[in-house]
Amino acid sequence: MRRLLPVVTALAAGLARALAIVAVAFFLCRVMPGDVVDVLGLEGGLTDAQQAELRAALGLDRPVIAQFVDWGAQALGGDFGRSVRFDRPVAEMLVHAAPVTLELALGSFGVGIGLAFGLAIAATSLRSRVLDAVIDALNVWSIAVPTFCAGVVGIIVFSLWLGWLPVIGSLVLPILIIGLDNAGQIVKLVREDLAEAVMLPHVRTARAKGLSPWRIALVHVLPVAAPIALVLSGLVLSGLVAGTLTMEILFGLPGIGSLMLNAVHGRDLPVVLAAVTVVAVALVAINTLVDALHRLIDPRVTR
Amino acid sequence: MTATTELRDAPIDAAGHRAPSAAASDRTPGDPRAVPVLEVHDLGIRTGGRDLVAGVTFSIGAGRTLALIGQSGSGKSMTAAAIMGLLPPDVTVSAETRIELDGRRLPHADDGAMRAFRGTALAMVFQDPMSCLNPFMTVGAQIEEALWRRGVVDPVVRRERSLALMAAVELPTPESLRRRLPHELSGGQQQRIMLAMALAAEPRLLIADEPTSALDASVQAEILALLARLQARFGMAILFITHDLAAARRLGHEIMVMRHGRVVDFGAPRTIFTTPRHPHTRALVAVREMLERPPAPRRSAGTPVLEIAGVGFDYPPRRFLDRPSPALREVSLTLTAGRSLGVIGESGSGKSTLAAIVAGLKTPISGDVRLFGTSLAAHRFALPRALRRRVQIVFQNPHGALNPRHTIATAMREPLDLLHIGPRRARPERVAEALGWVGLDPDLRLRHPHALSGGQRQRVAIARALLSEPDLLVCDEVVSALDATVGAEILDLLRRLQAERGFALMFVGHDLEVVRWIADEIAVLADGRLVEHGPADRVLVAPASVAARRLVEAGRRADQPSDPAK
Repeated sequence: MRRLLPVVTALAAGLARALAIVAVAFFLCRVMPGDVVDVLGLEGGLTDAQQAELRAALGLDRPVIAQFVDWGAQALGGDFGRSVRFDRPVAEMLVHAAPVTLELALGSFGVGIGLAFGLAIAATSLRSRVLDAVIDALNVWSIAVPTFCAGVVGIIVFSLWLGWLPVIGSLVLPILIIGLDNAGQIVKLVREDLAEAVMLPHVRTARAKGLSPWRIALVHVLPVAAPIALVLSGLVLSGLVAGTLTMEILFGLPGIGSLMLNAVHGRDLPVVLAAVTVVAVALVAINTLVDALHRLIDPRVTR
Repeated sequence: MTATTELRDAPIDAAGHRAPSAAASDRTPGDPRAVPVLEVHDLGIRTGGRDLVAGVTFSIGAGRTLALIGQSGSGKSMTAAAIMGLLPPDVTVSAETRIELDGRRLPHADDGAMRAFRGTALAMVFQDPMSCLNPFMTVGAQIEEALWRRGVVDPVVRRERSLALMAAVELPTPESLRRRLPHELSGGQQQRIMLAMALAAEPRLLIADEPTSALDASVQAEILALLARLQARFGMAILFITHDLAAARRLGHEIMVMRHGRVVDFGAPRTIFTTPRHPHTRALVAVREMLERPPAPRRSAGTPVLEIAGVGFDYPPRRFLDRPSPALREVSLTLTAGRSLGVIGESGSGKSTLAAIVAGLKTPISGDVRLFGTSLAAHRFALPRALRRRVQIVFQNPHGALNPRHTIATAMREPLDLLHIGPRRARPERVAEALGWVGLDPDLRLRHPHALSGGQRQRVAIARALLSEPDLLVCDEVVSALDATVGAEILDLLRRLQAERGFALMFVGHDLEVVRWIADEIAVLADGRLVEHGPADRVLVAPASVAARRLVEAGRRADQPSDPAK
């Protein structure tokens, strides 16, 4: 129970944070000069009376706070309103876009974490200089090569020259590019953390107990590295928001990122708002989960 | 390996006592005809072409203890690591080395083959039990893991066996302790868990590498006594590594002295103490004799230098909403000019906090400290400049107390410049002179701290404190981090300087013998309260408080040559 209480408070704090982000996004959308009716008015030549009527119908003449409460209540029920440009329910558009982004994000997260930990564990247990050089190279790669550059070069090489992959719609290249980038960001930290962990006195005790190298690695070394692994995973996941957006646009993938960008161009505010909300809630959920897991994994954090 | 099988199969009764098996009682401990459990021949350990250990040869019989004594860097821990096959990767054992266990040669170069012996015939306990236990596993699970390694597959049997082992190391309420994590146990309990884990292996040889050095004095004595009892019951050979001659004498059937990676002396405890052959052994014994015969206390006279009245201190809360934890409560003490006050207590008793308050480094929440008649409370516990030069403090870790980027001369000039002592031009000369007071070559002042030994650095710290000609010197555990012989030299130096200069000394320590040697009067702190204060002889001969009695008894037990060889 003593361990669970901080988890509950962390969850509550996370919810408050998500609410704050959504509220700021909502008010920013309203503060921008000109609303949907103005755009439609310019496009369709509505009279002032018609515009006022439309505003009343959409509820845009009411106080901003009341609008936010209404919108929030509907959003909680899964109703994000209708897209002004496409005249479709926003929720439906989200449902179509989310799987693409989710696939891209989870795929590259898996590649990144797997590559980073695989390399770091191998380099630590084999004490290999070659692997350490590979780790350094990967790290420099992630610092020096922006993902969109790698993406453009990848399209030229694999799609245009070699013809192995289609130019648009393939997930393979974007997943590999973001995965490599993520792995490069964290692999050195993981390697250093493991190198320190194997020198700890309790790992020496485990060796003195005559345990097998596998058991020592899994039971006595990895739990020490788990908190940092968790923190780094959280970092990588948060970074994926920007990463997937670039890749979706570059490779023409119809995910949340593309949806958001197109909606911003078209002043399709309900869609912008819904996309921002989804991303914000996902981010906060990830951070809260990481924090809660951290407390559960390391019994010393709460005391 | 028959003997270990017997031990495993011997029934354990409810209290965890093993019924003596016939075969085990056949083998009288120390029977000279028997093959020794461990035989080490011509052990050599080197790294990067440098010899760390060379030509070390010894053997230990079943039920016998060899105490391996040496100061830091003597190669004693390396010797243990070599036997276990746990040397660091860049350190190798020489080709001539032969290590035999029960007459069979150990494959010490082959880590995979050595693993078969670790956790079965060989077991080891280390110095700092807190960091040597896995912080993420309950202590019960860690003992059970060792049993699992030993082939106890049935979880129910494993559970029972682990509880029996916890009872064997005399832990109270094993059933509830089993579910705790290491940080929820005291240092003594943690070390008992380490011992239970080692016993789970049913080892032929138990290596104990400084098993009590990280523990409080009273706990140290308990663990040493427990080790002797466990050996009497389970009959394993023990290699007991220590820097403490008193502990070696208490536990060892034989004592082996190492220095610079070589064996310099070997023999029964009595021989080592009465007729030490090597000069190094003589120095070690001399330290013991010096500590056992403290000089006569000085007469109480003169004006009070330090008056502590009802001082209290709280550690700040670690987190918001936590309550502050009390470190000191209602402590009152006085110290007169030229005398020395020893402040003693176990870790966490508040003794270092008291030293910091006297030196003006911490602000108490209640009470007052009067230095030379001046109330510090009236100055909000910021020492006025006039007082600052009259009170100086020296800390435990001389390495941390000296800025590694500054030469000794720069570091020592600092207080002179800050306190405006003496004419600016005379200051370098004065620094050189001060190094002479503490028996150092004045040329050392051009060096950096890392080029000095621990003892030299502590001398520098003392010389720096003496530069302002203080009337009160506060010493916080100043010899705890030093080897015994070096520490004894520092004690001797302090006493000599005090006789020459007549400053009052407040000496904080955890080692009863050390404090007794330097102090005229002793104050005992326990849980932040002053539980005893009086002349050193009186406190030691007839301690009135429970806490003081515990400390004194622990010291006495560790002292007496129990001579287990009989």
